[in-house]
Amino acid sequence: LHGKPGISFEEIARAANDEGRVRLATELLNYEPRAGKQVPLLLAMKEDTIALDKAIESGDTDLIFHVLLHLRKKLPLASFFRVINSRPVATALVESSALDQDRGLLKDLYYQDDRRLEGSNLLLTEALSQASLAPALDKLKLASKYLQDSRDAPSTFHRQALDETAKLLRLQEQFEKDLSPRDPAAAVGTSSFPGFLGLSANETIFQLLRQGHHKRAQKIQSEFKIPEKTYAWLRLRALVSARHWI
Amino acid sequence: MAPIAPFNAAEISEKARRDLLLLLEGIRGKKNLVLEKGLAGSLNLLVKFSTLQEYGVDKPFFLENDNVDTSQRNVVFLARGEKAKTVMAVADQIKRLRRDSQIEHEFSIIWVPRRTMVSDQLLEEAGVLGEASVTEWPLFFVPLADDVFSLELDDAMSDLYLRKDPTSIYLSAKALMAQQQKHGLFPRIIGKGDNGKRLADLLVRMRTEVAAGESSDNSGPSFLGLTPSSTVDSLIIIDREVDFPTMLLTQLTYEGLIDEVFNITANQTEVDSSVVGGAPPQPGQTGSASSSMKRKVLIDPGDALYSTLRDSNFAVVGNLLNKAARRLQSSTERNQLAAKSTAELREFVAKLPGYQAEQASLKLHTSLAEEIIKFTRTDIFTRSLEVQQNIMSGADPTTQHDTISELIARDIPLPTILRLLCLESTTNAGMRHKDLETFKRAILQAYGPQHLLTLASLEKMNLLQPRGGVGLGTTPAAKPGSVTNYTPLRKSLRLWDDEVNEADPNDISYTFSGYAPLSVRLVQSLIQKHTLANLVKPSANPQAPAQANPLAQGLRLFDDAAKYVRGATFDERQAGAEKAGKARSTLAGSGHDKGKTTVVFYLGGVTRAEIAALRFVGGRLREGEGEGAGGRVVVCATGVVGGEGLVGCAVEGGRFKG
Repeated sequence: LHGKPGISFEEIARAANDEGRVRLATELLNYEPRAGKQVPLLLAMKEDTIALDKAIESGDTDLIFHVLLHLRKKLPLASFFRVINSRPVATALVESSALDQDRGLLKDLYYQDDRRLEGSNLLLTEALSQASLAPALDKLKLASKYLQDSRDAPSTFHRQALDETAKLLRLQEQFEKDLSPRDPAAAVGTSSFPGFLGLSANETIFQLLRQGHHKRAQKIQSEFKIPEKTYAWLRLRALVSARHWI
Repeated sequence: MAPIAPFNAAEISEKARRDLLLLLEGIRGKKNLVLEKGLAGSLNLLVKFSTLQEYGVDKPFFLENDNVDTSQRNVVFLARGEKAKTVMAVADQIKRLRRDSQIEHEFSIIWVPRRTMVSDQLLEEAGVLGEASVTEWPLFFVPLADDVFSLELDDAMSDLYLRKDPTSIYLSAKALMAQQQKHGLFPRIIGKGDNGKRLADLLVRMRTEVAAGESSDNSGPSFLGLTPSSTVDSLIIIDREVDFPTMLLTQLTYEGLIDEVFNITANQTEVDSSVVGGAPPQPGQTGSASSSMKRKVLIDPGDALYSTLRDSNFAVVGNLLNKAARRLQSSTERNQLAAKSTAELREFVAKLPGYQAEQASLKLHTSLAEEIIKFTRTDIFTRSLEVQQNIMSGADPTTQHDTISELIARDIPLPTILRLLCLESTTNAGMRHKDLETFKRAILQAYGPQHLLTLASLEKMNLLQPRGGVGLGTTPAAKPGSVTNYTPLRKSLRLWDDEVNEADPNDISYTFSGYAPLSVRLVQSLIQKHTLANLVKPSANPQAPAQANPLAQGLRLFDDAAKYVRGATFDERQAGAEKAGKARSTLAGSGHDKGKTTVVFYLGGVTRAEIAALRFVGGRLREGEGEGAGGRVVVCATGVVGGEGLVGCAVEGGRFKG
């Protein structure tokens, strides 16, 4: 029969399955080239992983999603992860859809896979979506803690960056408290008070210089080891924009 | 009957238009249209809004705005059905309307390009599937110009390279398959890159699926006899991943620079009205006198003036504009003088609208060009261009670090910096560990700590990584074919050209004032091998070009180059199922492969400069004798993009707020 067009192996396999001969049906389905017909039947026969493999083979993301949704409902989370784990395409699809909808799932996935950097990045994303400082700092702390055990170079860098972020945010909060418009000294130069929170280190220095708080600006520079050259550029630009010609 | 040329722009857009209007007609009465933003551009290219109105569309809304009103009974959703997010958005709005509205609504959903099982499942779970009539609009290629077809998948790049989501590969395969069913199999599928390979495999697979679908119950026209096309020569698939640098460079053609400065989407660009001035706001809208208004300008490929300008290097655009202005002036003036008899006068008057249109277009492009000149004269532009050119010509990238650091300190836009850094990383197979960390730190300090995510994304896309690829997925260090190696390619494909002539270009390197895009070079090594061979080794045999051997297409030049280029190389031949032998013999026997179309498909997007370069190649084919004479090059892509878009999908938008 093989090689003859026009024969639907799906129908034959369906018949075999109805007779209860699952093995034979699976065997037969291998000859069915149309994944769109193959996969649903495989699911009906509870040959889940084969269905997933066939769906991936077809390249049709819709089919893959279909199987994944099915599996997600049926399996406990841990074994669901185990199934997708060895199949990069499936993992990628789960990740990308979970990114929009189900952060919790993603966290578990990274945890089980020991993908610490990505887990920590997820926490950083959450920190960014916090509306106020305190919870954001908490998330940052968690993100940093997540990387505590790994010693390789990228994680170390990452951790350092996260800790510096927390430090910067705290300093910025301090500045906002100290230099807010109610403080008469600061209110003189600027008509509208620009907040500090959320600015980058460079921008913070820029704002501080613009408002004439040189001491504090220098503190940031030494605290975060900003190169002299960068500082010089920042100073120049800040003074020009404040029209303090020197 | 003249054979219909494959990839006929008019035919494709006509079909898409008809399909949509039929769907709209099926929904009786007036309706409100809810549109996914990403589809607005394509829709605009295909159908005029007035036509939609004739078909009963009352008001258009954007899906993302979530503001459909209840003025009409019928609500039609038009959205891409591949993403769960979009599906949920549609479901939420249906629920909202149902809750808030006084009247009973009729909902219709048109999925583009197909109805997916997942969308059904999600709608069902949301409890709205039952009350919506669901149809599909098979929109694939949207013609942007006669020789440029785009799928307009805006997310293709972030999907493919960041999220590793192969949806766009599948859709591309579908789109190409539709063309094959109409015009015959691509006799040859050849290309480069891992995703490209996947696409080619899918095309082969779909062919068997189509054949299998040919069972007795299917009464459609037979595809079993699907034979190699007689009008298409080959399909060349280039995976974007193969050649990121080209995308990262600042494009130097006119159209490319318009894209860099103003950003073109679906042949439209938004320009500050103070620049374009003149043209009044919509009649009746007298109130909008604010000078900072943005105006939409149509970049029309049909415009004669624009079609001469768009592919030129920007350096010569001034001259071309000048020439056009002179010609226009002289033709109107002389005609006025000569127009003595009434007959001549009448003739002149008949031509007037043409002159006026030309004048308007001249005015538009002069102001655009002026604006671009302002941009290119800035210190920042010249400095970053200098870095780009040095890196591409093969200078030691560490010499450029000072300039980049300075640019960071001067707080120039982040995408520009990222493009420079990624350029260095992609052309040199990564950056030295120490340098990379310095730059990362500098970026975080200058642009904010949230870009820790940006940097992680860039690494995941293999755009910015430490040397040796210690990155996330690429642990087996420096595996052959894992990165594109530019050092040997620069020579063997002559990627850098010092004597580039911008006014009267003799090579594609004019598009970047010296650098010849690798992706186009690869295409050339397939369809213009002798020209390229002469270019690489000019003195070897000056007389060679005319005698092209049609059988030697597998070609050394390409194979040699392909060794150094990242990803899989593939070369698939497709023969007809049954008449294979016969078809092949007719192909080989009759030497008239004149006038055949070569389809170049860019998976993951194409830049406007590359399109210009391919047009240049195509132009040579059309005129030239010898290899592939009279051929036509058609560019297809998942989207038309620039470097900004590439790094843009990595950039994290959020920031800490107090």
